[in-house]
Amino acid sequence: MTNPDIRVPVTFDKVAKSFGAVKVLEEMTLTVQPGEFLVLLGASGSGKTTALRILAGLETPTSGRVLIGGTNVTEMLPKYRDVAMVFQSYALYPHKTVAENIGFPLKVRGLGQAEIDAAILDAARQVQLETLLERYPRQLSGGQKQRVALARAIVRRPAVFLMDEPLSNLDAKLRGHMRAELKHMQHQLGITTIYVTHDQIEAMTLAHRVAILEKGVLQQLDTPKTIYNDPANLFVAGFIGSPPMNFLKGTLTAGRFDMPGGTMGTTTGASLPQATLGLRPEDAQISTAPDAAFQGNIYTNELIGDHSLITAEIQGQMLTVKAPKDFNGAPGDPIAITAAASSVYLFDASTGARLR
Amino acid sequence: MAPDASNRIDYRSRSFVQRLFEPPRIGQMAPATSVLVYLVLAIWTAFVMFPLYWVLITSFKLPAAVNEGPFYLPFVDFTPSLHAWKSLLIQDWEDTLKSFGNSVIIGLGSTILTVGMGSMAAYALARIQYKPKFGSILIFVVLLVAATVITVAAGADWRVVFAIALALFYLLVRAFSKHFKRHLANGDILFWIISQRILPPIVVIIPIYLMFQSVGLVDTHIGLILAYSCANLPIVVWLMHDFFAGIPIEMEESAQLDGATRLYIFWDIVLPLTRPGLAATTLLTMILCWNEYLLAVFLSTSTAQTMPILVAAMNAGDRGILWWTMCVVIIVMIVPVIAMAILLQRFIAKGVLTGAVKG
Repeated sequence: MTNPDIRVPVTFDKVAKSFGAVKVLEEMTLTVQPGEFLVLLGASGSGKTTALRILAGLETPTSGRVLIGGTNVTEMLPKYRDVAMVFQSYALYPHKTVAENIGFPLKVRGLGQAEIDAAILDAARQVQLETLLERYPRQLSGGQKQRVALARAIVRRPAVFLMDEPLSNLDAKLRGHMRAELKHMQHQLGITTIYVTHDQIEAMTLAHRVAILEKGVLQQLDTPKTIYNDPANLFVAGFIGSPPMNFLKGTLTAGRFDMPGGTMGTTTGASLPQATLGLRPEDAQISTAPDAAFQGNIYTNELIGDHSLITAEIQGQMLTVKAPKDFNGAPGDPIAITAAASSVYLFDASTGARLR
Repeated sequence: MAPDASNRIDYRSRSFVQRLFEPPRIGQMAPATSVLVYLVLAIWTAFVMFPLYWVLITSFKLPAAVNEGPFYLPFVDFTPSLHAWKSLLIQDWEDTLKSFGNSVIIGLGSTILTVGMGSMAAYALARIQYKPKFGSILIFVVLLVAATVITVAAGADWRVVFAIALALFYLLVRAFSKHFKRHLANGDILFWIISQRILPPIVVIIPIYLMFQSVGLVDTHIGLILAYSCANLPIVVWLMHDFFAGIPIEMEESAQLDGATRLYIFWDIVLPLTRPGLAATTLLTMILCWNEYLLAVFLSTSTAQTMPILVAAMNAGDRGILWWTMCVVIIVMIVPVIAMAILLQRFIAKGVLTGAVKG
């Protein structure tokens, strides 16, 4: 059941945070649309968790404003912000039963016991916990604890959901399952959600839009599709994609990219003495043509299952290509690789800026 | 050298010495080791238990049996008698009961006060960053000294002087604290608190006595409760601080987001999680109060006399040391402590924090 009334926008307005001399977050401006699922993606130390904690009210920004639903909440106590947070460690109360854990936010707000019980049952049903209500957290598996934390967050229908790497303590299989459930739940509830992760798969699969942070600076904010197909800079291009994008160093002369062992035309007309060419493994093809763009030798051949990953060494630079699973090249064999001019990305090697 | 069968270690053909000095299987002690360990433990147990045994048998001796020399075996060396027990629990029962009751009232009262205040202070120090400014502390000390001097030298009413000093302190701090740079942190406050235990109590007992005398607290229950609380507060703060600091902060942050106040979080989440530590601290405080002698001997004469004073009083009569009755009082004094220890040990053994975070 979608409740359009509680969909609120969230805005970071030039929010910056320093701990002493350390700048954790540089002036960040970002607006989350009502009902949107926004993922803050970044490596550890990128400032993503700090941004979330500022939004929750667990930290105050050094400068800037935070708005929830149009209200300036920068200095407001956490409890008045109407946000619920799921922590990486789940933060369940070990001395309370599952039911008491889920009902805690309502008990704190002084609701009647009958009302609380009904809400607990409702929230527990949504995460399939209704049979475990009398257990204690120590009697639950990791996935079940995760569900309790989720139920505790949804039980009072907050205006905004905050999730701090909620799936990172689960094993791979369970993580995939919970990811799907989270997405479904967010879609059903329609609550504006801000989700912090370092896992690009989670970001790509869950988000309406992804905000990529690096060293406290917002690198790109866009849909997963755009971020993958049209990365704003070298960092984003290298961060998103698995296996990662290949980067080849060379020179750009009137749109022609040259490096030892390779040369190819591009769609730009620019010239640059130090350029980086980005090429995704799936956009490169193994070629038999004598005039193929890159000539080198096979370094490794890894069979993944439905495809093989061939890494070629081209005069000291590595280039990985996605090849059919029946490709039979042995390390040391000569190999030629081509790519369409429209599929490569060009960057200024010194600044990391994208050349279009 | 290639391994061959003769070099392999064969479990079945171990020599007698090997069997004696090697553990027979994982998790067991070698026979020789276990004999040695139990021997040492037995000697140590005898050493520790002997005084208690001596107290126990002496309480059943007649004065004559005590004075005639060392006898250790009841029924063999001497004939046990309930003489001392009767004299203390039947003849002088009022005096014994009064001292026992005083010890209970003062011990419980002081423990509740100390653990209550101490754990709140410890929680605050574990979770809130304080920055007392050097300048503000200096102003406080100067005003305190000035107020004391004015009161004593000029004979002014101390209430008026201290009210003025307090108002001045507030105004000065409001006006100047923004300009003070150097400050202390929580670690300094903690050390300041524990440093109050570094002074030997005998050094401060005379000033305390004089203070108590002037406000009429000598030989009162309240007086001893306050004195014990002051003495034990540093220990409670120090112990509980570590327990609170060990709780994962996410739980409290989560509760904060859900709308709980600090006091609610403290009461509903933090205290239950530190129950083992709280129990241990309570037990320790109670025992410290129960056994305290120095403060009690100065600050109580008759109305508030506690058990240790009663024990000591057995030494003070004109009939010499009454070993037999002293031993009875000692046993009466020890039993509640043992009972408390057994009761609270269950709490301490329970790991309440298991399963708090992560899986």
